[in-house]
Amino acid sequence: MTSKRYRTVVLATIVAMAFVLVVSACGGGGGSGTTAPTPTGKHFANFRIAYDQGIDYLDPALSYTVQGSSIMWNVYLPLIGYKHLNGPAGATLVPYLAKAMPTVTNGGKTYTIYMRSGLKYSDGTPVKASDFKGSLERDFKVNSPGVGFYGGIVGADTCATTPATCDLTGITADDTSGKIVINLTAPQGDFEYILAMPFSSVIPGNAPAKDQSTHPLPANGPYMIQSYNPNHEVIIVRNPNFHASDFAGNVPEGNPDKMTITIYGDPSIALTKTLSGAEDYDAQQPPPDRLSQLQGEHADQLKVYTPANTFYFFMNNRVAPFDDVNVRKAVNYAINRRAMVRIQGGLASPTENIFPPTYPEYAKTNYYPYNLKKAKGLVRDAGVQGMNVTVYASDNETRRAPEMGQYMVQVLNSLGFNAKLTLINAEVYWTTVGAAANNVQIGFADWFQDYPHPLDWIDTLLNGTRITPTHNNNYANFDVTSVNNGIAQLKQQPTLTPSVIRGWSTLANTIMKQYAPWAPYLNVQYVDTFSSDMDLSCYVNHVNYQFDFATICKK
Amino acid sequence: MDERAGAEFSLDTAAVLAAGESASAIRGRSPWFLAWRRLRRNYIAFAFLGLFFLVVFVCAFAGLYARHVAHIGPNDGRPLGVLHVHGDAIPIVSAGGYLDKHTGEPCPIGAPSDQCELLASIPIGPQWFNAGGRYVLGADSLGRDVAVRLLYGGRNSLIIGIGSSAICVVAAIILALLAGYFGGWIDFVISRFFDIFYAFPVVLLGIALGAALSVNGLHWNLGLFRINLGSGGIGIPLLIISYVLVPYIGRPLRGQVLSLREREFVEAAIAQGASPLRIMFSDLLPNIASSALVFFTLIIANNIVLEAALSFLGAGVHLPTPSWGNLISDGQNLIVTRPWLALAPGIAIVLTVLALNVFGDGLRDALDPRAKVKVEH
Repeated sequence: MTSKRYRTVVLATIVAMAFVLVVSACGGGGGSGTTAPTPTGKHFANFRIAYDQGIDYLDPALSYTVQGSSIMWNVYLPLIGYKHLNGPAGATLVPYLAKAMPTVTNGGKTYTIYMRSGLKYSDGTPVKASDFKGSLERDFKVNSPGVGFYGGIVGADTCATTPATCDLTGITADDTSGKIVINLTAPQGDFEYILAMPFSSVIPGNAPAKDQSTHPLPANGPYMIQSYNPNHEVIIVRNPNFHASDFAGNVPEGNPDKMTITIYGDPSIALTKTLSGAEDYDAQQPPPDRLSQLQGEHADQLKVYTPANTFYFFMNNRVAPFDDVNVRKAVNYAINRRAMVRIQGGLASPTENIFPPTYPEYAKTNYYPYNLKKAKGLVRDAGVQGMNVTVYASDNETRRAPEMGQYMVQVLNSLGFNAKLTLINAEVYWTTVGAAANNVQIGFADWFQDYPHPLDWIDTLLNGTRITPTHNNNYANFDVTSVNNGIAQLKQQPTLTPSVIRGWSTLANTIMKQYAPWAPYLNVQYVDTFSSDMDLSCYVNHVNYQFDFATICKK
Repeated sequence: MDERAGAEFSLDTAAVLAAGESASAIRGRSPWFLAWRRLRRNYIAFAFLGLFFLVVFVCAFAGLYARHVAHIGPNDGRPLGVLHVHGDAIPIVSAGGYLDKHTGEPCPIGAPSDQCELLASIPIGPQWFNAGGRYVLGADSLGRDVAVRLLYGGRNSLIIGIGSSAICVVAAIILALLAGYFGGWIDFVISRFFDIFYAFPVVLLGIALGAALSVNGLHWNLGLFRINLGSGGIGIPLLIISYVLVPYIGRPLRGQVLSLREREFVEAAIAQGASPLRIMFSDLLPNIASSALVFFTLIIANNIVLEAALSFLGAGVHLPTPSWGNLISDGQNLIVTRPWLALAPGIAIVLTVLALNVFGDGLRDALDPRAKVKVEH
């Protein structure tokens, strides 16, 4: 395409978009309630974001961090996705590239979806139904950390063993009609959520089977990544081929015309830049000793939120001394969760639960009130006093992991162990503790939901049948047959009815009460800081992706 | 002459004294006696040596201070503890959170922001001597006594600084004597070893080794020669620092040995049938001892700074074991409200290094006023 012709297309697109906006603005009421909060006339030139160093990849098949998915949410669209809304309403799934939500047949094992017609990627090539199949197959080919989510698709087993020649035979796609049929080996209650994950984003079928972070893939969302300079900057601009009208209001076109994401290593600098107006939004957490200043001088520039998260210490059920359930219970009794709130800087609530309090499956428990004497007795009875224990923690200061690691060392020493701390660089921490060969005894962990479903917590983190030698998310190596069977049974329930919710709640509480594979300690709160130029009436904090960059407005 | 020099003390007092020494003043005196005579007149060097000993003394008694004054160990955190100062109960780490402005209770999720306020949990600041010696320099975010950790950290930093310097100088002397005396292929191998390590920036090499050994430690079993160093203690940084600086001492000492090797007293010793070991350790070593001693003094300061740098970067002493370097790193998160957390270990490093450098300069001048011994990397 020549540049002149390109300009013509862009101009025509802008005119068409303006026409659509005018028509929709004149349309008045009758909204479905799913329309994203993107009032017209709120466009502005550049949204400047002070980011942290947590971007792992900007390739939808590879990124498995909030920092990566927050950016790509508005760049690469899956067949279905979430409403761009605040709070629980944001957990509702709506069709993105799909014309409608999937039709589920064959006892919950077959999903049929029709893709919208006429969609184009940012490079002008059409979005095809077969691209979906290719995108999931590419996940296997690039050894995506998300392939475990697709294990229920027919053919996934073969793809897992021979990823280079992956052919997901369970998926058929017809480019002419846009029909996609997905066959599962068994019913899977969270499958629609899995289809909404960034790993399910649809990218061109000819995308290279290797990391494309620095050579951004063509986008089908409202924005496209113009450039990514790791540890330095990401530039995001509007996708000229995106038309919000094609998506029935489910995907907002976004307010900023451009987003400039600058990566800062020091949270204090990021905060200072934001408060001075050099940046519009600080994605990093402010240092605790500046919260008072923020509250006193910039209270109207803050948003405090509690994403669905649980911070915990996992205890390896296969390695001494934590192969003894009484020792695991002793650790739960010995940690003082109120003290841990203070160590965290105050912005947290103590918890003993696996699920965060935002979940309907959450039922507050108090199985392990602080009782050091009882804990010492349990350790003494287990006969493991004096044993060497190494506590693993990442060096991620934003998560206060080094401080929590030190606290755990203190706790274990008070129980009579000979404990020491090993701090691992945050970039390789999860790989280290997720490798069976390292035999990590106990370590720091936190979990932020991939999707708002109990399976993302119990199945991903505590299902013994999902333990892998590397990239293992079940850090505790918790493997109890009755629990595995319970997960398998609940997994087949297509919807979260009250009885299913009760089932998950009972299972989670049983895990903690009887087996205590973790020592959960906090649900952490976060702070978003903005410059005084931003209009926070447009602020949207999504249940999965947290602050939605696209919907923010400028005063 | 002594009186005149004594009236004009400077950092080069020993050199001034030496320049004015007549032949009769040095005749029949051993070099060590002459050096001592020059050094004892250098009051500035002695004053800073006294400062160094004071730091060593204070750190050596960290345990007594912790037990009988602060009543808390270096790794004992009390985030929920309360300190009584002049009858007031002050929390060691204040309560924080997103709290209701009126009730002080945690704000529920989704509560209107104008009803809630943000309060951070901040550790108590310096109490000096208002709390009976407790929390003199305040607490860190885990509620640990900063003064206690500072003293224990100083002890660890000094052990690493002095220990690594001793290992480093001994290794450098042995290698320099072997290379300089035997020459040939032995000199070639040792010199290339020096060159290879000289080519790496010291801090980067230290970080690389520290990171490599940080998980599993160092475990070598070569029969009689065994090394078992866990990853959590001070053994690994001590070994790394002594290892990476060997070439910086070894190379200049080798040059001296090469020069001494051609002197008549060595030829005389060879002619008398002395063994190489005897020549190296009885004839050559005493002649490089003064340089080695000066190197040792100066490199202690250097190694304390290097330990601080490595620990600050997470490749030295591992938390929760305190060292001055990781205490600075620990304190930087609270630099606005609790600057003493980072300032106190920083000041301790500055004083110790300054004391050692000034005394080292004085010692160098006293031992050999014409020598240009310095540690560079």
